[in-house]
Amino acid sequence: MTRVGTDETKEPDGSDRCLGRTAKTPAVRFQGVVRRYGQHLALDHLDLEVGRGETLALLGPNGAGKSTTISLLLGLLRPDAGSVEVLGMTPHQAMAQGLMGAMLQQTSGNGLPPGVRVGAVLDLVRRLYPNAPPLEVTIDRSGIGPFLGRQTNRLSGGEAQRVRFAIAIVGGPELLFVDEPTAAMDVEARRAFWRVIGKLGQDGHTIVFATHHLDETDYADRVVVINRGRVVADGPGATLKAATTSRRLQFVVERPDEQLLDTLEGVTDVKVRGTGVTLDSLEADATVRDLVRKGVEFCDLEVTGVRLEEAFMALTGGDVGPREGAR
Amino acid sequence: MSGLSAFGRFELLRLLRSWRFLAVTVGFPVIFYMLFLGGRSPGKIINGTVSWRVYLMVSMCSFGALVAGLNAGGTRLSSERATGWARQLRVTPLPPWSYVATKVTVSMAVVLPVIVLVEVVGAAFGGVQLGLAMWSELTMLLWVTALPFAILGVFVGFMVNAETAYPVVTVLMFVLGYFGGLFTPVSDMPHALRTAAQILPSFHQASLALALLSGQTLVADHWPVLAGYAAVLGLAIIWKHRREEARGLA
Repeated sequence: MTRVGTDETKEPDGSDRCLGRTAKTPAVRFQGVVRRYGQHLALDHLDLEVGRGETLALLGPNGAGKSTTISLLLGLLRPDAGSVEVLGMTPHQAMAQGLMGAMLQQTSGNGLPPGVRVGAVLDLVRRLYPNAPPLEVTIDRSGIGPFLGRQTNRLSGGEAQRVRFAIAIVGGPELLFVDEPTAAMDVEARRAFWRVIGKLGQDGHTIVFATHHLDETDYADRVVVINRGRVVADGPGATLKAATTSRRLQFVVERPDEQLLDTLEGVTDVKVRGTGVTLDSLEADATVRDLVRKGVEFCDLEVTGVRLEEAFMALTGGDVGPREGAR
Repeated sequence: MSGLSAFGRFELLRLLRSWRFLAVTVGFPVIFYMLFLGGRSPGKIINGTVSWRVYLMVSMCSFGALVAGLNAGGTRLSSERATGWARQLRVTPLPPWSYVATKVTVSMAVVLPVIVLVEVVGAAFGGVQLGLAMWSELTMLLWVTALPFAILGVFVGFMVNAETAYPVVTVLMFVLGYFGGLFTPVSDMPHALRTAAQILPSFHQASLALALLSGQTLVADHWPVLAGYAAVLGLAIIWKHRREEARGLA
């Protein structure tokens, strides 16, 4: 990979260890990782590899094992079985050496220490990393210049989020992890944020992000879906996108003719329950036109997007959720 | 390690910039000293050992150390744990143990000037006169024995959530202060309270210092009790810390 050059410039020590890592080991490697919480099996022999310089989107419903995966990746947890490697070493070592940066999701509070200016927090975190780039680079990328001198408790939600992003990148980490990064951002800030992520990706950084927004997978080279503690789908974002253009049509007909409905344009799946009909279609518009053309007298028509998990079920043909397997 | 010292400096400055912390830790012991000094004749000998002015100075040094330790950890720590800052630090190269260690160290660093300040007030306004050697020995003794208070503050910050930390700190401050005999000599208290004081670290800390000044031999096992408090609270913090780490991000 061409990344070798990039890494050499980033790590001026240029040691063999560094080159060896770059050439051979992936940025992240989970091998047969098992993690339990008491009786609950959170990760069930999870295998996952992230290449150097790759931007990976991590998707999965709540309780799927996503946050366990992230905790293992960041070295906050140890696997019960299997191995987790980051940049050819244990996550703990990679973290201690300043090779990882992370922006975590906030449940309460803004994630910043109270009673101090933004600039001081950034300066502190930067000092914790051995190979941090100049502070200006981070200020420029995160766009936090205007509130560097402000107290951390006087930031809006979106501003605090940008500061947390700045904290994640201020040390110049090789691997960047961001969890639901745009949750509190407005449209403008979102766009700017993904531009920066793109730039970091071009610079050779490996980026892993978790998101609930399907459209944000556009910014990933690859999308991985985790469910029930395993990888259930793994592919380029475009494949996912195609799967999710699928729409669900629901309406009521007095006497549904299942065979006729099945022949409608674009329809991939038909479900009839009494007078209620549910159709999955790849081309909702064409399906509706066909419904009218064939004289089906429907009412209460509702068109919705197919849920992410269901889209992936179509992709993988697998059993995805704890929800009843439909079909 | 430069990262660790940067963190220590950051924490210390942040603490010293908190007007609330400064007002409480400087205000309480100094104001109480001035307030209580005239309560009895300053030269009156307490329980046949030291004068009221000396007793009160030592007690307020002790109280100041207690207030500083409780407030440096306590509310501040539990609120930054609630905001997610403590968690954010876990995903930096900072070693996991350094969070607790730095908190205790920074608490100890602010305890020292509080002790010195009360001593200055005692000398300047209370008329306490000691030799230079005794001043420095007293200061060192009070400082070293304040370690259980610094650990107690961190302990409260770890065990109690942000909303309840404030009342808990306040209650501990006055319970340990009053029943530890820092406002009224334990010898003036009824028998039951005199016995109760024996289990409080504040009583043992002040007793050590008073024994030093009166040249008396120690009447109780002050050192083992203080060390026991430090050890038990410290272990409890480590236990809680480990348990949280075992949960990862969840």
